[in-house]
Amino acid sequence: MTRTVLDAPPAMPALFARAALTARGRGGDLPDTRLARVGVEVDPAHLADYARVCRFPLADSLPVTYPHLLAFPLQVALMTDRAFPLALPGLVHVRNRIEQLAPIGTGSALDVEVWAERFATHRSGATVDLVASVRSGGDEVWRGRSTYLARGASAPEGAPEADVEVPVGEVERVSARWRVPDDAGRRYAKVSGDVNPIHLSGLTAKAFGFKRAIAHGMWVKARGLAALSGRLPDAVSVDVGFRKPLFLPSTVALATSPVDGGWDWAVRGEKSGVEHVVGVVRPV
Amino acid sequence: MAPQTRKAAIVGGNRIPFARSNGAYARASNQDMLTATLDGLVARFGLQGQQVGEVAAGAVLKHARDFNLTRESVLGSRLSAATPAYDVQQACGTGLEAAVLVANKIALGQLESGIAGGVDTTSDAPMALNEDMRRVLLAVNNAKTLQQRLSALAGIRPGQLVPEVPRNAEPRTGLAMGDHAAITAAEWEIGREEQDELTVRSHHNLAAAYDRGFFDDLVTPFLGLTRDQNLRPDTSVEKLAKLKPVFGQGEGATMTAGNSTPLTDGASAVLLASDEWAAEHDLPVLAHLVDAQTAAVDYVHGGEGLLMAPAYAVPVLLARNGLTLQDFDFYEVHEAFASTVLATLKAWESPEYCKEKLGLDAPLGSIDRAKLNVHGSSLAAGHPFAATGGRIVATLAKTLHEAGPGKRGLISICAAGGQGVVAILES
Repeated sequence: MTRTVLDAPPAMPALFARAALTARGRGGDLPDTRLARVGVEVDPAHLADYARVCRFPLADSLPVTYPHLLAFPLQVALMTDRAFPLALPGLVHVRNRIEQLAPIGTGSALDVEVWAERFATHRSGATVDLVASVRSGGDEVWRGRSTYLARGASAPEGAPEADVEVPVGEVERVSARWRVPDDAGRRYAKVSGDVNPIHLSGLTAKAFGFKRAIAHGMWVKARGLAALSGRLPDAVSVDVGFRKPLFLPSTVALATSPVDGGWDWAVRGEKSGVEHVVGVVRPV
Repeated sequence: MAPQTRKAAIVGGNRIPFARSNGAYARASNQDMLTATLDGLVARFGLQGQQVGEVAAGAVLKHARDFNLTRESVLGSRLSAATPAYDVQQACGTGLEAAVLVANKIALGQLESGIAGGVDTTSDAPMALNEDMRRVLLAVNNAKTLQQRLSALAGIRPGQLVPEVPRNAEPRTGLAMGDHAAITAAEWEIGREEQDELTVRSHHNLAAAYDRGFFDDLVTPFLGLTRDQNLRPDTSVEKLAKLKPVFGQGEGATMTAGNSTPLTDGASAVLLASDEWAAEHDLPVLAHLVDAQTAAVDYVHGGEGLLMAPAYAVPVLLARNGLTLQDFDFYEVHEAFASTVLATLKAWESPEYCKEKLGLDAPLGSIDRAKLNVHGSSLAAGHPFAATGGRIVATLAKTLHEAGPGKRGLISICAAGGQGVVAILES
């Protein structure tokens, strides 16, 4: 295994450009590479921007989804490296799992490490997990696992079956209605660095085969968790499945149901009932 | 209805350190700060998921969207969502008034427990649309046809783009609170040096209280702050003497940025309960809220100082409770300005004022200054308007508890609009 420690987060627009240029000619197995940053300190102004966009309160511990923002640029760097077997354009984020083992203080110095694993066979292609581990003072405090689907790709011989089903129960009771404006993607792109063109405008989304711009899945996840502020366990796991794209603008309904000390929840089109995101929150 | 009343117990308090305007909490909203403060109180007293009888709190500078600020903060906190809440607003008296309201309901048996609090931000302050622009947009909104809409829109002028920024000024007089206080300071001939001395004592007392851990169970760090940002432990009369006056005019100007409270952001909360509730929950009783009184003065046309209402409220409270001004072990007189505290004390010492204005046969007399604001007050801590009452109630309750049973304390808080809220606590 090779582990590379970066001094600064990689520049995301450049990575997305490189990803587009180097999409062809990829293959093989996952690289045995880890990317890391050490002693990362959260910028209070950035945290405040993120909290506003996702509707989290500004508090003394980080929103559960915030560490993903520290890991994501490293994961993109890993995926755009030529050694990565799948092309980034066309990868679809289908599932995201987070385990927060303890609340993370906003002043903590964090060590972030990411890698790829579990190249798996899916009925319509292959999936891969981009994993992140965050440590504070040597103890692991946060784990993230993003599962991406590459349609038409194939995993190596002997690969396991993809694991994309989120075990969510029936959630019918609507607890909130969100009017998601057409600039929701641009606003989240600004704070997350995820400048994937499918989120930015109708025009750029069309270039990638979507009829309109679509909301970031991680924004929907964050906003769902923000709606549960004050009602989440300190040590918590959040497993979310991204189903149908949420086209912008939209009016959607959040449904929640208390289950086993946590919550099952879903975000659906208010009128259409189309399921965009389902989530399972549990104490750990 | 309860056959007789009982005194509400003060169980404890929590606040976040107060930050200077556009300082550590520049990006925090009132709701953020109040929620964090409630969550700190919940953590301190093990109230997670529990229903408290009621939460009463408020803010002086409030966004229109925060009409239900306290309830929204409760919903975002770790308290049970079945906890009712309401907003209170009595300018700088908000926090103490909220405590009195909760205590009164406990006294009547309508509540077994309750939280009183307050929050204010001068950094994330609301700005309103320019009044002319607001009227144009209302007309546009009410227009039924395109033509009506266009004709309404034609009323827009570039100057209307300038928003209305909240000012720390009295609507009826147009004077800043400091300008009003400077008039009172001149009337009472309050000197520069005595103001600076009071200011230094406030800073030194607050710093000493932090140093001995007095605030360890009253303050929860927030967004990187562990102590009040305005606190200057090493300040001195010599240092303060160098500051130029900012309020008042000419030779007689004595009020500086040092001996006036700065604009501040912060929040506080106090847990009150019946003695039975506290015992059932295995929680301490620091003190009881014995009684309270408000007063108001005509500072517009009546010739009284804007911040002098507490001078009127205190004798009423003393008479009802059969006490003299000297029957207290501690005094908490809110330091809006050093000169305000000194003018109030001087008023109580003045036979003429006490007779003519307060209608008393004899002056209330002087107090032992060693018992005044012994753990510092607003000059050092800062004064996020609605949060000051909760800070003082919790600080005094703990002070009385430390001093032992049977100790008595007086709280006096002046407020905009010529109002005052005063109260008696007893351990």
